[in-house]
Amino acid sequence: MSLDEVEILLVEDNPTDAELTIRALKRKNLINKLVWVKDGAEALDFIFAKGIYSKRNVDDLPKLILLDLRMPKVDGLEVLHEIKANEKTKRIPVVILTSSKEDRDIVESYKLGVNSYVSKPVEFDEFIDAISTMGFYWILINKPPSEVPHGTD
Amino acid sequence: MLINYTLIAVNPLAPLYTIFMNAEYFFGLLLFLLIVLMVALLTERIEKVRRLRTLNSELTRETVKLEDANNELEAFAYSVSHDLRVPLRAIDGFSRIVIEDYEKDLDEEGVRLLNVVRDNTKKMGQLIDDILLLSRAGRQEMKISELDMSSLAKNIYADFDQDTKGRTVIFSVDDIPRAMGDRALLTQVFTNLIGNAIKFTGDKDISKIEVGFKDAKDDNIYYVKDNGAGFDMKYYDKLFGLFQRLHTQEEFQGTGVGLSIVQRIVSRHGGRVWGEGELDKGATIYFSLPKNLD
Repeated sequence: MSLDEVEILLVEDNPTDAELTIRALKRKNLINKLVWVKDGAEALDFIFAKGIYSKRNVDDLPKLILLDLRMPKVDGLEVLHEIKANEKTKRIPVVILTSSKEDRDIVESYKLGVNSYVSKPVEFDEFIDAISTMGFYWILINKPPSEVPHGTD
Repeated sequence: MLINYTLIAVNPLAPLYTIFMNAEYFFGLLLFLLIVLMVALLTERIEKVRRLRTLNSELTRETVKLEDANNELEAFAYSVSHDLRVPLRAIDGFSRIVIEDYEKDLDEEGVRLLNVVRDNTKKMGQLIDDILLLSRAGRQEMKISELDMSSLAKNIYADFDQDTKGRTVIFSVDDIPRAMGDRALLTQVFTNLIGNAIKFTGDKDISKIEVGFKDAKDDNIYYVKDNGAGFDMKYYDKLFGLFQRLHTQEEFQGTGVGLSIVQRIVSRHGGRVWGEGELDKGATIYFSLPKNLD
């Protein structure tokens, strides 16, 4: 898969949670164009085509970003802020996928313009159900704007 | 003669002079005493201010300590809510994956053992949720408003429709007065009490749950009464204890946190919680709320 036609960008530092998430998305055949990055810094590099991803075409944006909140280096809220503050990337749907059910995380995420907030269930069946439904909705049912504007210049 | 005259002339003034001198001495003394008094008062004042300042800075230090402790508790609750769930999800998920992917290699006992693992992760997940509820019940800021307790109770009962499906439950709410309180917290109180009543009447042919009211001088007393498993009054002191349960997990599932949460919330409202029960006859849990909440 070319890194320029990514559908889902999964930002998750915990490998077991990432494996479970990918397994859930696989049930709806949503993992063919999925890229998994392991922390917020790598996510920003990918989205803005910097660092190890500097060869990527910055205009090819993922269709969906699944973002964990607590991660080393750059945490999820900072990544969310960067995405939503940038004219080019702010239309990408971002879904927070986290273990936290804390009100302040939810409030802060929505303040920053998150498109959806999903608290990952502990129970496996509920988890698989929540994640696959969410992925199916954002990739296959939701209608994004057809033309993503290329900046304001 | 002149000298004599002078002497004579001075002499009549002498007593006056003495009086004047005495008066000057007297006023001087008075002034001196006044100054001494003022200095003493001032010193005492300064001492008082100094003591006050010491106390003040001690208080500030204690407040900072308390804030630190609170923040630590908050961070702990946050960590519990986030970090403890991650490994739990992995344990549950990967046991399930083994059952799914290696079904033909596992015999019945193998599947049973993995399900024991899964059952226990579910219990621990419930425990984490309940501890968080308890911690939130204690630290969440209260927004006091007038609440329609009757419709609150009815709505909460309606939310339990999954648990009451297929059962015969007679649920009644008496004409109970409104109360001053925090909506979210008192919703939690009714959720726990009505939820308990539904749970502990689970093996009755007809479950009877009654939400009622008793008037007292300064308080409104509400109660939730059921005809369920009840409890033996000799264990009453354990009823509201954290993680204390009066039934085995086989009889009724639970973590033993529910009534602790109720007690914490009601006491934050300035009220009291108590109960009465009889084994296999039912239980009644009362809680009081002040009529005038300051």
